[in-house]
This record gives sequence, structure tokens and C-alpha cells, in this order.
Amino acid sequence: MPAARERRAGRRLFLLLPLVLLFAAPAAAQTIAPPSLTAELSVSRIEVTTAFTGGEILVFGATERLIHQQGDEVVVLATGPNTSMVVRQKINVLGFWINGPSARFNRIPAYWALASTRPVAEMLAEDERAGERLGLGLLQLPQLGARAPRFRQALRELKQREGLWVDQAQVEVSGGRLFHVRLPLPSSVQTGLYRVQVLLVREGRVAARQDLALDVVRVGTAASIANVARDAPILYGVACVLMAAFAGWLGSVLFRRS
Amino acid sequence: MQVYLPIAEMSVDALLLLGIGFGVGWLSGLFGVGGGFLLTPLLILIGIPSPVAVGSGANQTLGASVSGLIAQWRRGNVDVRMGMVLLAGGFVGSAAGVQLFAWLRRAGQVDLAVAIFYVVVLGTVGALMVRESLGAILRRGRARPKRLHEHLWIHGLPLKMRFRKSRLYISVIPPVLLGFSIGVLSAIMGVGGGFMLVPAMIYLLGMPTSVVIGTSLFQVVFVAANVTFLQAAQVGSVDIVLTMLLLAGGVAGAQFGAAMGGKLRGEETRALLGALVLAVAAALLWELLSVPDQPFVIGPAP
Repeated sequence: MPAARERRAGRRLFLLLPLVLLFAAPAAAQTIAPPSLTAELSVSRIEVTTAFTGGEILVFGATERLIHQQGDEVVVLATGPNTSMVVRQKINVLGFWINGPSARFNRIPAYWALASTRPVAEMLAEDERAGERLGLGLLQLPQLGARAPRFRQALRELKQREGLWVDQAQVEVSGGRLFHVRLPLPSSVQTGLYRVQVLLVREGRVAARQDLALDVVRVGTAASIANVARDAPILYGVACVLMAAFAGWLGSVLFRRS
Repeated sequence: MQVYLPIAEMSVDALLLLGIGFGVGWLSGLFGVGGGFLLTPLLILIGIPSPVAVGSGANQTLGASVSGLIAQWRRGNVDVRMGMVLLAGGFVGSAAGVQLFAWLRRAGQVDLAVAIFYVVVLGTVGALMVRESLGAILRRGRARPKRLHEHLWIHGLPLKMRFRKSRLYISVIPPVLLGFSIGVLSAIMGVGGGFMLVPAMIYLLGMPTSVVIGTSLFQVVFVAANVTFLQAAQVGSVDIVLTMLLLAGGVAGAQFGAAMGGKLRGEETRALLGALVLAVAAALLWELLSVPDQPFVIGPAP
């Protein structure tokens, strides 16, 4: 009897097994590979209107392990569209300060901002940082014209002063695993596609990464004016002449003294 | 209240622009000049890039001069024939000036060129105005020989033409050259050039004062229109939002200025204007001579 009961119980267990596996499988997969890093942007589009005074890129997310305590660190790197800049040195000629030698930098980011939970230099080795370009000093700045390194230095300083290059902002941590950072965008920011990389650093290596995209677009009147001026300069020139003439005429009508 | 300028690609306080427009308009109403020579340096001072300041300054001058031209036209104070001759030179001059401007921009010397033009031109004109008006104030009361106009060697050149309204029979070469030089200056400095044109028309061409203001406005309006068009089409540096804000303030300011200008005597007005012109020139010269606080400047690659 006990043997028969045992056998029946065994058969019942055998029948239940696939069912148990069916339910257990997703749960098991979740515990095997939880996302070690999740990040998101508050907006995927920043609109530049005639009332635009600057904005910010808000990056937020969470890590699986505790930040700092369990060795996880977060790095956020935002890069704007490429641009070309000229750096000119002022020189004194006969008492006058004029623009002297110049260096041209092609294909450099119009916007560049680095933020992290701890200084990047403390969490990553030099070669790791160089590979990911984590640092204003590691940014590739191909230089044409004047060769001296002081032009490169001036470019870094002046871009930082304009708030267009940020090295480095602090990523804030709350509750051990939630992080967020606000990267400021000044009003002189260039329109185009921005790339935001969020890296998870564990034991001196990049353990996970997430790529996010942000569109900075001109909209409304500002967009139409800039587009017309660029695409139909002749039409725009005529429009400027007519509008100013009309405004002047309107003024003379409004303020006409009888 | 901040407003984003789509061509300058920056945001500026709209009230500041209205205020600058009002102040410049007030002075231009007071002195009967376009005021572009004050406007462009002021715009550069508040951080507007030089090319945009020059392009939009010319556009503002156009709008500000139109109402003056309409008023003068109604009173029949425009010598159209003389205006056309000046304009012929002015069109060529402004076209050449915009080419020169575009070339300077590529060479990265726009800021310097604009500053030097301002210092030289404003310094000369301001000094001449102060000297002339002070002389007139000192001579006041003494009788002067009445003559229609002085006969200079300039009037002896060939290609003579009769200008009925100006009561002149002179060669067209001086007015064409005058129009040409004002056109070049207009393109590079973003001014109408009224403050140079008016004395030149009186002292060089010998035109009667009654038609000088109207005829110079005629030239200024069309040359400024040409500069605006060429700057917009070729350099792409005219910001219509900036222009309209300046005009809105300027039109109102001009009325107050004109009302006040009626109470001042001619010589005093000219002496004050001369002093103002000299002050702007001195401020710009100081900028050129003082050690820059930043040894490097950056800008977008042309």
C-alpha cells in the first residue's frame, strides 16, 4: 500500500513537473540576468522657439547593485552634433590688438558634457578612459593652421566658459540605486541630434552601457525664419527690406502730426 | 523678457533691444540722422556678433529712414535727380562694400575692420562737426557774406548736369564718387551714412540746406535696402527679429527726439552731435588699444 501510494505520488509529481517548469522559467530568467543598468531621458526632443533661453538634458535611471557601496559607478556622456571652430590669438601690432594667428578645428562636438557619480579618473584607468573619450583632455581635436598647443587649450577654456563643454558634472544618487543628472544647455546651443551614453562602471571596467538620443530642433517662428534665411536667401533679403520699410511707413502713419 | 534671435542664434533681453532702439531713435530724431553709427557699436557691445550687428543695423536704418523720407517727400524737399546720381554711385559702392565685408569675414578680420572704420570715420566727422559748430557759435552775431554756395575746383569737372531743385549746374563725378564712398561705408559699418552725407552735400557739392536732408534720406533708404539685401543673400547675417524689435523702439523714440530737437538751435545741435560722434569713436579706439582680457577668441569656422 505505502509503495503504491508512493508510486502514485511520484506519478503526480511527474505530471506536475512541466507545469512547475512552465511557471518557474520566466522567474528564473529574471533572476539570472536582471538589467544591471537602466537609463532614460526626461524628454527626447528639445524645442528651440523664439522664447528659448536654454534648457537641460535630464538623464535618470537605476542600477541593479548599490552605487558606491557595491562598487557600481555611473558615467553620463552627452555629445552634440559636429561643428568647425576657429581659434584666433589676439596680437599687438603698432599698439592695436588685432586677430593674429589662427587654428581651425574640424569635426569637434558643438556640445560635450561629462557627468559621473565619482571623478572618472578615480574609477577608470587611463587607457579605458581614452578609449571611451571620457575627459576633455582625451577629446580628439584635429588642429589645422597654427600648430601650438595653446590654441587647443584656449578652445577648451572658451567652450567651457560658454557652457557648451562641461567637464565634469556630478551625477546625484538617491536611495542607493537611483541616479539622475541635469546637464545644462545654454541658449547658444546648436540644433541637431545629440547622443547621450550612460555607462555602468564596475571594478574599473565598463560593465554595461545604454545609448540614448535627443533631438534639439528649432520650431515655430524661429525655425521658419532660420530655414527661409538659409534655403532662400534672396527671398529672405527681399522680405527683410519690405518688412523694415513697412514698419517705417507704419510708424510715420501712427505718429503723423497733423 | 528674453527673446531668441534665430540668425544670431542667441537669446537677448527684448526690453534691452527696445530700449536701445528707443534711445537711438530719440537721438536720431533729435539730430535728424539715422543713428546707425550708434546702433551697430551698441549691438556689438551687448554681444551680438559683428556681422549680424552690421547686417541688422543696415536693415534698421532702412526702416528708420523711410518715415523721414516720406515726410520730406511730402514737403517736396527731395532732389530726385541728385538722389539718382548719388544712388548710382551708392549701389556700386555698397555692392563692393559687401564683397569686401565677405572677404574680411573669411580672413577673420571683420571685428577689427569694423572697429577701425568706426574710429577713423567717426573721429574725423566728429572733429569736423565740433570745430565747425563751435566756430559758428563763436562767430554768432557777426554778419557773413551771403552767397548761394562756394565755387570750388570740384565744380569745374566735365560731365556737367543741371540739378534744378538744388539750383546747381555741376559735374556728376563728385556726387557719384560721394555716393560710392558712402555705399562702401554703409556696407561695412551698417550705417546709413547720413551724418557724413549731409555735411558733404553742403560743403562739397554746395547744395542748399533745404533739400539736403530729404535727398540724403533718399540715398540712405535705397543704399540701406541694397546693403540689407546683399548682406542677407550673401553673408546671411540679417536678423529680422532683431531689426523689428529695434524699429519698434526706434519709431517711438524718434518722435520724442524730433519734438525736443525743435527747441535746440542748429549750432548747439551740431556741436552736441559732434561730441557724441567723437565719444563713440573714442570708446571704440579704447577697445582697440586696451589689453584684451581674453588673449584668444573663438568663432564658427567660415
